[in-house]
Amino acid sequence: MKSYHDITGDGGSNILEQVTEQKDRIARALSKVRHRVAVGSGKGGVGKSTVTRALAAALAARGFKVAIVDADFNGPTQARMTGLRGAVPVPGVEGLALPKSRDGVGVFSVGAFLPESEALDFASVSHGESHTWRATKEFAALGEVLASVAWGKLDVLLFDLPPGAERTLQFAEFLGKATSFVLVTIPSEVSRGVVARSVSALAGTENSLLGYVENMSGYHCADCGEIKPLFPETKDGIVLDLPCLGRVPFDPALAFACDRGVAFLDLPETAATRALSAIAGRLVESLEMER
Amino acid sequence: MKFLCVPCDQPMKVLTVTPPDRGSISVTYSCPACGYEMAMLTNPFETQLVSSMGIRVGPADAVESDKPKCPFSGMVAQAETAAAAPDDGVRWTEEAAARMQAIPDFVRPMAKTGIERFAKESGHVEITLAVLDEAKSRFGM
Repeated sequence: MKSYHDITGDGGSNILEQVTEQKDRIARALSKVRHRVAVGSGKGGVGKSTVTRALAAALAARGFKVAIVDADFNGPTQARMTGLRGAVPVPGVEGLALPKSRDGVGVFSVGAFLPESEALDFASVSHGESHTWRATKEFAALGEVLASVAWGKLDVLLFDLPPGAERTLQFAEFLGKATSFVLVTIPSEVSRGVVARSVSALAGTENSLLGYVENMSGYHCADCGEIKPLFPETKDGIVLDLPCLGRVPFDPALAFACDRGVAFLDLPETAATRALSAIAGRLVESLEMER
Repeated sequence: MKFLCVPCDQPMKVLTVTPPDRGSISVTYSCPACGYEMAMLTNPFETQLVSSMGIRVGPADAVESDKPKCPFSGMVAQAETAAAAPDDGVRWTEEAAARMQAIPDFVRPMAKTGIERFAKESGHVEITLAVLDEAKSRFGM
């Protein structure tokens, strides 16, 4: 009797061909994107979205063409941060055109059309079993986004990833080795520990790990003008075995700008914005980008 | 998944795929050698697993589901209720509607809702290619 591998094809559904076609559509759509950079962590609440948003703005300010995919479908924030809530993608001749922030960054975010009081809900014929299929469906939906947008010539496409070390690995595998990673942590042992797990998970992939950003790295004291620690300093703590791209002090003005969708070009220069601009510069060096 | 006709030792071929009924699809197979037919009946869990991958079971010309394929349809329905509902009187020209059809299913409902809202706010009663271009400009594209 024949075995599975003795039979070519799959009886008519051409499942493998469909999967291949999906991947080809994504590859065609992204063919003019020079660099893909995923901003992840593993840990939630460390400022991945803020760093993504700020890097995009800083790169755009340097003359690069940049777009963001808010890959956190369940906790989308980029539409708010970029002032694009309600700005939906519009179909053009060559595909979906993305709304752009006032500082020129194209953004796809579920938050543009999903009210913040609503949780993302997928139509399903199988009730009470979403833990078995939900992640698969989200990646299929992300694939459709990547394939359907008219990205055009982009210097950098940034992915704002959801939290979770295992999710970071899943995105690495889904996006492929052409996508580099930047990880975000805060100066706490808890956060470094989680990020270290992400580093370990990514070590088994072919994706390039460009470095990490330490966010909330102290705060700027308006009285004395110094950067003071937000977290207790520890000796012999966890050391992340990858380059540090920079440290960003906590800045209430930056938090306010993200909450209100203020364009970064409208922000006054602060220690945080200088740090983020410097990180963008190191990112450019790491990617060996030229305008 | 493949099916083998054991007496003939031949792989069976898909004949038909029926639309989902309460989450179950029926896929009919036939043995090209002896003509024996059998059907695979999926449970909703199996149907959901396959549809989550964004792929379709059966030959390309098989009967498709009459239910929305949009994975966001539930969410979009809620969003439409929660937000200002677009004017029912807004019409789409054939050209504009055709352009909407060229984009993937799951993006379409949210884009349609947003564009209709934009058209209403801008005083348009008909969505044309020019209105789509206007929407693109409005959203900074």
